Amino acid sequence: MKIRDLKWLFGRNSEFWPTNIKTGMWAWIGHRITGLVLVVYVFMHLSFLSTASISSGDFNSLMEVTSKPLFVAMDFVLIIAVIFHAMNGFRVIMFDLGLGVRHQKLVFWIAMAIAAILIIGGLWALWDIIFVPSEGGG
Amino acid sequence: MPDQRIATTKVAGTWAWFFQRLSAVLLVVFLGIHLYASHFMDLGEHESGESLISFDDVTLRLDQVFYIVVDYGMLSMVLVHGLNGLRTVLFDFDMFVKRKKYIDVGLWMVGIVTLIWGIVILFPFITGG
Repeated sequence: MKIRDLKWLFGRNSEFWPTNIKTGMWAWIGHRITGLVLVVYVFMHLSFLSTASISSGDFNSLMEVTSKPLFVAMDFVLIIAVIFHAMNGFRVIMFDLGLGVRHQKLVFWIAMAIAAILIIGGLWALWDIIFVPSEGGG
Repeated sequence: MPDQRIATTKVAGTWAWFFQRLSAVLLVVFLGIHLYASHFMDLGEHESGESLISFDDVTLRLDQVFYIVVDYGMLSMVLVHGLNGLRTVLFDFDMFVKRKKYIDVGLWMVGIVTLIWGIVILFPFITGG
């Protein structure tokens, strides 16, 4: 394969070149990336829960580690992925049902506005754990 | 390229499409219950007043069959949705479309093994250690 064969993917005239990407394409790319992140997360989640099969003490000490600011900040990334994926998924289902297709850009931005509000709510809920140092020096 | 993308939507199948939507809706419901039960519901046993989850908290919650059904139901829907989503992504690549049978068998195996893993994970919480 020659480099110029990949022009459709990386070239300036490619539909994937950032300035050529249209609203629906951003939604599609975002849905893929967040979806893959969530699949990885689920298997991490199951692995972490499996420590309980070793002993309850192992599980409890892992829960203590995951409540540290760095991990809770990663939880915030998870919140962003979940909310984007859910809101965009809602938009996909709407279009499958034939609702709002004619106003697809508006529907996308309404979905993103709701997502932004929910994400800010999530940040508000996690703020103290991430940014306010606990007395125990967590 | 556009022709190939249209072709891959045919590869995935109508049932896959349908269950992807069904599991999506169920997951939003399950996730709401799961998050509320794990992080907000008062089990009446946080002496320290902290929100840290402990083994005993989870055991107490899973004393109720309802939460076992929620957790295991959520795992099964996660697997349907996640693995089916992964399948859709893979089938956007010709090299995986050509090996459709192997991908399907592989993903089913991952799903079934993970469902069994789920029982193993729940076991200590249900028996209490």
